[in-house]
Amino acid sequence: MTVLQNLPRRGPKGTEPSMVIGGARPRDEKTEELAAKIFSEFKSDFRYKEYVLGCINCGECTTGCPAARFYNFSPREMLQIAYQDDPLVLLDAMQEKIWACCQCYTCNMRCRFGNDIAGIISVMRELAVRNGLDSAKEVLKPYSRILLAVMTNGTQVSPDMIQPDFFADWGPFAVAKQTDIKTLRKAIPIDVLQVTDSSWEVSMQTSLELFQIYTESGVVDMLKSIDPDLVEMIEDIVDEWKDEFEEMKAKYGVGEA
Amino acid sequence: MASPKILIIGGGPAGLSAAQDITDAGGEAILVEQEGFLGGTPKRLHYSLLAPDLKPVEEVLDPLIDSVQQSGARCMTGAKVESVNSGRNGFTVTISGGGKKVEEKVDAVVVATGFAHWDPHKKYEYAYGVYPDVIDFKDFEKMLSDGNIVRPSNGQVPRRVAWLLCVGSRDRQVGKFYCCRLGCAVSIKQAMEVRRINPAIDTYVYYMDIRTYGFWEDKLYWKSMEEFGVKYIRGRIGSINRGEDGRLIAMAEDTILQRPSEVPLDMVVLATGMEASEGTRETAAMLGLELEEHGFVKPLESDSMPVSTAVPGVFVCGTATGPKAIPDSITEGSAAAIKALNYVRKRSIKVQARA
Ligand SMILES: Cc1cc2nc3c(=O)[nH]c(=O)nc-3n(C[C@H](O)[C@H](O)[C@H](O)COP(=O)(O)OP(=O)(O)OC[C@H]3O[C@@H](n4cnc5c(N)ncnc54)[C@H](O)[C@@H]3O)c2cc1C
Repeated sequence: MTVLQNLPRRGPKGTEPSMVIGGARPRDEKTEELAAKIFSEFKSDFRYKEYVLGCINCGECTTGCPAARFYNFSPREMLQIAYQDDPLVLLDAMQEKIWACCQCYTCNMRCRFGNDIAGIISVMRELAVRNGLDSAKEVLKPYSRILLAVMTNGTQVSPDMIQPDFFADWGPFAVAKQTDIKTLRKAIPIDVLQVTDSSWEVSMQTSLELFQIYTESGVVDMLKSIDPDLVEMIEDIVDEWKDEFEEMKAKYGVGEA
Repeated sequence: MASPKILIIGGGPAGLSAAQDITDAGGEAILVEQEGFLGGTPKRLHYSLLAPDLKPVEEVLDPLIDSVQQSGARCMTGAKVESVNSGRNGFTVTISGGGKKVEEKVDAVVVATGFAHWDPHKKYEYAYGVYPDVIDFKDFEKMLSDGNIVRPSNGQVPRRVAWLLCVGSRDRQVGKFYCCRLGCAVSIKQAMEVRRINPAIDTYVYYMDIRTYGFWEDKLYWKSMEEFGVKYIRGRIGSINRGEDGRLIAMAEDTILQRPSEVPLDMVVLATGMEASEGTRETAAMLGLELEEHGFVKPLESDSMPVSTAVPGVFVCGTATGPKAIPDSITEGSAAAIKALNYVRKRSIKVQARA
């Protein structure tokens, strides 16, 4: 009997070898351990069971996916990877592919199985950030300005900024739809405040509360593993605001105790 | 003992088969059909050839209809059962039709009220009812039996026709979880017919799985490729748009090539699923029959007693209990007939024993 030599092990020592036979794989101990760690965090995430139900490979998610038209990316592939049990394939996808998704949720609307595909992709992204993957650092580098706005203001675009002038790629339909957008908004059956133009006016108290939420929910720590300089900068801003806010409270005798 | 008298509601393949066997066994059958003719959905919607042997509907169903009519069964077409009251000695039913109402006493009831096509308007991505060249199964069957395959938008012969399977089946979004069992076979059959009539038309079937179970595999699926050149694309059309030239553009993922595809097509045929007909739902409510989770009539035991119901004396057959093909519906009609006859016989033995 011949003993097959040099078979890829696919999985750290002592773990069940993975089921999927892929192409060339990195086989160093460190990568495999990282993959196994992320894999177990991923599968035990409370959202996993809710988001990944099963897949009959119809491809309707990919049909509607704007990213799939331009990149080597498909929501169906992401869901399959999420569904299968291969830590290295999961890690591979997290290094590059998941970042092509634009989180438009069209795939969810299409999915006849009821999966939350965009949701599971965002869980993967979250894990990429939490584990400080190089890909996450790379991807988020150009976004520090946006992150700064979101972390301090809670918003980074306001609906009234979305104007045809800024979006050369809009087709004629989208442009036509914009011409009377205020009236169209009024037709929204839900009772909304229609304050799309004041999204930038965030009160200092709101910003501070928001930052507290970011801190307590672990977002700040998560961001630290990706971009510590940015976090330092945000913390400086927030500290200044805190002082200012305390002064205001003392001066006018308002605000929470 | 008087001969057993049994009411059959619905004159499709299942009901006809029940009526035939009841009269053959010496029973009295009253067949109530709401349409003005017998033969059920295949006749009403003018199906053309039937799977799997590509025989015309007339060839398959007319002998059955003729023999039921000659058997002495009372066939009341254009009629409906208004009410059913069950008593100690069977059921008293009121049947209306032709502006008249009659009352009948029967010993048992067979429900054969059939199925309805799922309405593809509800899947708005496919633009059924918006683009005239998007049609459904039944529209295309009619077109085939009229022998006139043209694009509804301009009356021209199409160059490319595609079928999209599982519209209103296997889809949580529209609340239809089950497989319609017929969609694959009927689509393939339609594609084969098209190729036979005009080999210049290219035919494509967009599928997730092909479920041509049993003998339908080689008779339809394989044959369609080998002998008719039907092409298969694994992946679903997710939405249908229209190009500037008025042709449809099917947006899909080819899940084997793993890439999104946008293909110009002249016609798309939606393989719509099956659901319980309105008649089935009404009749179930009238007789106090429970519906199962997919909205069809619930048999007493879906595995061991498929044509019995929880209501004594009421039996059910054909597509009223779920999607199935004509041969299965006919088989179930016979099964319901013998179950109903046995029910009446056993009950009369009991009555005699008591007397
Ligand atoms: C597009 C399409 C193509 C098909 N092609 C094939 C094929 O090629 N081969 C095949 O084997 N099968 C085929 N089938 C399946 C076939 O049509 C069914 O198996 C068959 O019609 C079922 O028979 P049935 O008697 O149960 O129901 P139906 O044919 O639906 O008959 C039910 C009858 O009951 C009547 N009815 C309903 N309610 C009442 C009421 N309250 N009072 C009185 N009457 C009532 C209806 O008017 C109808 O006539 C096809 C199905 C579809 C959707």
